[in-house]
Amino acid sequence: MTNEISTTRRGFLRGSIGTAGAALVADAACSRPLELESGVGTQAPATVEAGERVPVSTTVNGKARSLEVHPDDSALDVVRKTLGLTGSKLGCGHGACGACTMQLDGTPVVTCLLPATALEGRTVITVEGLGAEGDDHGEPPETALHPVQRAFMAEDALQCGYCTPGFVVEAAAFHDAWRKEHGDSKPSRDEVAAALSGHLCRCGAYTQIYAAVQGACAGRFDAADSPVPRYDAHEKVTGKAAYTVDQQPKGLLHAKTLCSPHAHAVVTKLDWTRALAVPGVRGAISLLGESKKIRYAGQEIMALAATDERTAEEALLLVDIEYDVQPAAIGMAAALAPGAPVVYAAKSDRKHPANSSEGPLFPEPWEGNLRGPLKLFSKKDGQARKQLEKARAGEGTLVEGTWYTQVQCHTTLEPHTAMAQWSGEDELTLHLSTQAVHHMAGEIAERWGLKEERVRVLAQYVGGGFGSKATLTSEVVIAVELARVCGGPVLYVLDRRQDLMIGGNRPGSKCEMALATDAKGMLTAMRSVTHSDSGSAVGGVVGVMHRIVYPEAPREIHDYDVINHAPPGKPFRGPAGPQAYWALEQAVDQVAHIRGEDPVELRKRWDPNPARNALYTWVQTLPAWKDRPAHKADRGRYRRGMGLATAAWFSFTEPGCRIQIDAGPDGIVASTAAQDMGNGTRTSIACLIAESLGVPMRAIDVRVGDSHYVPGPMAGGSRTTASVVPSAQHAAEQLKEELVDLAKKHFSLRGAHAADGGVGHEGGKVPWSEVLAISPKISVVGRRKRDEGGYFLPPILGLAIERAIAGSLQVVELEVDTRLGHTKVLRTWGGYGVGRIVSPTLARSQAQGGIIQGISYALYEERRLDPGRGFLLTAGLEDYRIMGIGDVGEIHVHFDETGYEKIRGRSVGLAELVTLAPAAAIGNAMFHATGWRPHELPLRPDRVLQGVRG
Amino acid sequence: MIRFPSSLSEIEAPGANPPVIRAGSTDLTERRRLRMASGPLLDLRDLAGLDTIEWDPLGAATVGAKVHIAGAAADLALARAYPGFCAAAGALATPQIRAVGTVGGNLLQANRCWYYRNPDERCLKKGGAACLARAGDHLYHACFDLGPCACVHPSTLGMALLAYEASVMVHGGKDLTVQALYGDGSDVTGDHRLPPGALLTHVVLPPPQPREQAAYFRTISRARSEWPLVEVLVRLVVDDGTVSFARVAMGGVAPVPLRLTAVEAALVGQPAKAATFAKAAAIATDGAKPLPMTKYKLELVVGTVLETLERAGHATPSTTTAVVPAAEAAAAEATPAEAAAAETTPAQSDAKAAGKAEKAGGV
Repeated sequence: MTNEISTTRRGFLRGSIGTAGAALVADAACSRPLELESGVGTQAPATVEAGERVPVSTTVNGKARSLEVHPDDSALDVVRKTLGLTGSKLGCGHGACGACTMQLDGTPVVTCLLPATALEGRTVITVEGLGAEGDDHGEPPETALHPVQRAFMAEDALQCGYCTPGFVVEAAAFHDAWRKEHGDSKPSRDEVAAALSGHLCRCGAYTQIYAAVQGACAGRFDAADSPVPRYDAHEKVTGKAAYTVDQQPKGLLHAKTLCSPHAHAVVTKLDWTRALAVPGVRGAISLLGESKKIRYAGQEIMALAATDERTAEEALLLVDIEYDVQPAAIGMAAALAPGAPVVYAAKSDRKHPANSSEGPLFPEPWEGNLRGPLKLFSKKDGQARKQLEKARAGEGTLVEGTWYTQVQCHTTLEPHTAMAQWSGEDELTLHLSTQAVHHMAGEIAERWGLKEERVRVLAQYVGGGFGSKATLTSEVVIAVELARVCGGPVLYVLDRRQDLMIGGNRPGSKCEMALATDAKGMLTAMRSVTHSDSGSAVGGVVGVMHRIVYPEAPREIHDYDVINHAPPGKPFRGPAGPQAYWALEQAVDQVAHIRGEDPVELRKRWDPNPARNALYTWVQTLPAWKDRPAHKADRGRYRRGMGLATAAWFSFTEPGCRIQIDAGPDGIVASTAAQDMGNGTRTSIACLIAESLGVPMRAIDVRVGDSHYVPGPMAGGSRTTASVVPSAQHAAEQLKEELVDLAKKHFSLRGAHAADGGVGHEGGKVPWSEVLAISPKISVVGRRKRDEGGYFLPPILGLAIERAIAGSLQVVELEVDTRLGHTKVLRTWGGYGVGRIVSPTLARSQAQGGIIQGISYALYEERRLDPGRGFLLTAGLEDYRIMGIGDVGEIHVHFDETGYEKIRGRSVGLAELVTLAPAAAIGNAMFHATGWRPHELPLRPDRVLQGVRG
Repeated sequence: MIRFPSSLSEIEAPGANPPVIRAGSTDLTERRRLRMASGPLLDLRDLAGLDTIEWDPLGAATVGAKVHIAGAAADLALARAYPGFCAAAGALATPQIRAVGTVGGNLLQANRCWYYRNPDERCLKKGGAACLARAGDHLYHACFDLGPCACVHPSTLGMALLAYEASVMVHGGKDLTVQALYGDGSDVTGDHRLPPGALLTHVVLPPPQPREQAAYFRTISRARSEWPLVEVLVRLVVDDGTVSFARVAMGGVAPVPLRLTAVEAALVGQPAKAATFAKAAAIATDGAKPLPMTKYKLELVVGTVLETLERAGHATPSTTTAVVPAAEAAAAEATPAEAAAAETTPAQSDAKAAGKAEKAGGV
């Protein structure tokens, strides 16, 4: 049994093999009576906080404010906490992300670094004050919004919304200055990029942000007359959307944790007596297991809660801790070296390791730090070996190579956050930044032995997840246990350093890939041997992706985990996919190159998948692709090239998904215990029901983010659409039946039937609103009915795999500067076959965001640890580089909506699919441009220069 | 404790426990949070007289330490006289940081080494026994390994001012040339050589060169807002096609900003054309001592120097002569410095890049 709270987790498939029945962190001290390993501060509640105060007089959103601040308080902290204006967000804490931006005397400034004392005599505008001067809490009417806010809504220039207030405040200042100087002319993309270069959007809404800012400057959004495609956009552009980090109930305590600076150690002494004696500190808990073992730097050892963050931080310095530091194995090479320290030495430690994959853990051999091979995804592997031998002997074509990928951090702009509050001993309310409202409530109830109806998980707005917030991890345990110990609400927010360290990551990989063809160029064998670096987690299953594409040929697929003293990996948008396609799709491209064949024609011959075949046909008509230059056409400093790659993803659904509609004279309310982290859950539900009734989207009051609603799907594995669409349709159908019946009787209608906008009858139509006005309260629950012909894999503890593989095709045009090693993706085209598109605007936004994350992974992102001791080096958003707005070129999205007739609702997931192929397409475009086939990610300038020089 | 002096006379000479001086705080806030700079604060918020740019009769500028970086970048008179300096100021950090950060703070900020910034680690600069980057991961560190510490100096403006042979005025200490402010990299006690508690009050630039062609360029992996792998500032004066004056400074490569005098010497007296620039750039790595992981920077040094020389070569000469009357300067159609900052344009090979380079000195 592992001891580390922060690593122990289940796969997305509940009760996954190998972890079935395992209680989370069952041997962590905090799950048992707490006398020995927790403590409560003895002093009376602190009434006056110690410390110096400085008076500050300032004007915020038109209102004069007199404040008393600590000399080291940031302006952001004071505005958020003292003034309660939580629209501005803390993202990175060092000025790299821009989420905290406010206007100071009209100029956008970084407020996470700006001392609060600097506000003296100045005028501050936050997102809450934009366009509605002097009103910082009121509800500005739509017409009072700033044109930039309206533009962000109309262009869908946001997803999770966490970065949005910062972008909007900056863009509003740019807009105002621009129009003063240039009237209604449109600024160039470069001008917009320069103005917004201090902002990062992890969801990748940059394309729409360009459109919004350019449109607003051109005067297109001066009036409030543009449709708003996203259901919750207004809350996000005004700063009213309250995330978990924004919760500030009365008496809130703040938790901080002591994390190990060592990657491999045993804690020999842990004494927090002195910390507890600090006035304002209310309690502490241990997070160590019985073995007191540390398996990665950043592992949480103990946590304490105090009346404010500064007190908690200062108290942590007084914790007496000693370690027996042991040699660590950092990275795959060190972990496999002879004599390397073994991360899970004891058999008992290996029963329930942390799982970095989205699926179950399978039983596998396990020697030292090497776990595997997992051969489950092989197919006729003996035949595959024979075919490879033939190819090696010169028959047909053989491509062999080893491809590497780096560790990528999720980097959600809202860090992992939990706020917990107990009512008595058996009732628990939590605000969680989670992708799984319904499932978390269940897990929490089980974990703390509570009745499920006594646990309430709330998540109205979630600032990004990307797979890292789908399971019960340490922040929940810390908030819940400290709330119990301290007897009050406790908020725990990881700081950026911690979030990059332990918030989650996509495992690194080394993939040996071989493809063989016969003389005619048909694929005769595939061999993939992948070693995954999930740190102290296991679950590398890159090979599953190699099983589902070009599925007919024999293949030998081996997956290994190389366990080492690094923070555990977690599922990350399309787990295993980018790694798998980086190797496979470059190998396929190489086969086409060697054979002198068109890479699309080659794939068409190998690939029977209907979704991808429709996309092959599409790309062959794409002018940019048809007219692409020859291989290595440019010989000068700048070299352009085009490449493409395909990818496949499973179609998941949760048949247990329910959507409840409550209707009556007060309107129509649709609710489900799902969440919307920018993926558009609210919008999908509203669209479906509104469309079914023939009413505007806004006529439906959609409520998600509360586990007390009927069960909703987790946002993971791209299952939300395929779950909520059929349920919403079913609910709407039932509602319409009820209303038609009611209208027929009440109005004595002849030939009553459901029509667009109301009940049709021989004499005309009674609008739904009139029927609802005379209606008693109607409550219906929509279910997610089975697909026609059933599922490929029937629901295992809630999640079913549908009989469809979704397809994508990514085309990339890039330019390489061979002098300075800079790579720029100029244009991309993404084609997707995922059936019916419910909300075209949001689907396009999600696809473009996924492409941007994929490009960011390929070119910039890279977690680096100290090679000897394993602590995090890329500990902030300066060193951990995610794509900025200036890096974004043209992105085109194409949806092929054919097929999927047997899928209920005819819609399958999109979110993962869109981020799988960009890296591989970039690899192929690099080869096309330069003749250099890249094998290692990311494509940093130093690697590009070395590669291009040969 | 915190104090807000309103005049220099309220700031006594630094004693045994000098306060931590705070201006824009864009670097200091994080270091306070990480407990790398604790103790009483001396906050310059109310200190008068340090937030202006003054001109002497010879046309030389004195820039107050509290002038915001964005203010310096956008100052038309400054951009006319010292186009390279303003271009550098407009290209560093992010707009929201430039709006708060000050010229003085930029010069005196602490380095960004990921070992130094780790609160759990005690590196050489924090009084530890060894440079942790040297034995660890130093991918973004020095390729001119000049001292015990392998970090690179973070100040873009320091690098720029080296090319302008500027100096700084110090309250409570001796005035220093920028060269002396940073030393040769052998001192590991800090990122500058100002005594603790001494206050940098002004930056003094020498009179501008007439018809200066300047360019600033930083090589990074993304388009913007990233610490440089290598950054270079070039100032040229070209007379009848021949380089008569050259100053080249480079950052991102050594524990201190470097002036490349050998490159300058290779330029002066030579025709201002591609072959000269290539030849000069090729010797930019003279004296380089790369670490095992920073050998790649040598090629970037040559590439970045060449890039910046070419951009300076294409730049429109400045029109500043001796004196800059303020009114005339304000009326002049100067390119905002931000646009002049050399950036990687969306399509790098487009003619736009050349156009931009022209603008770099275009005042």
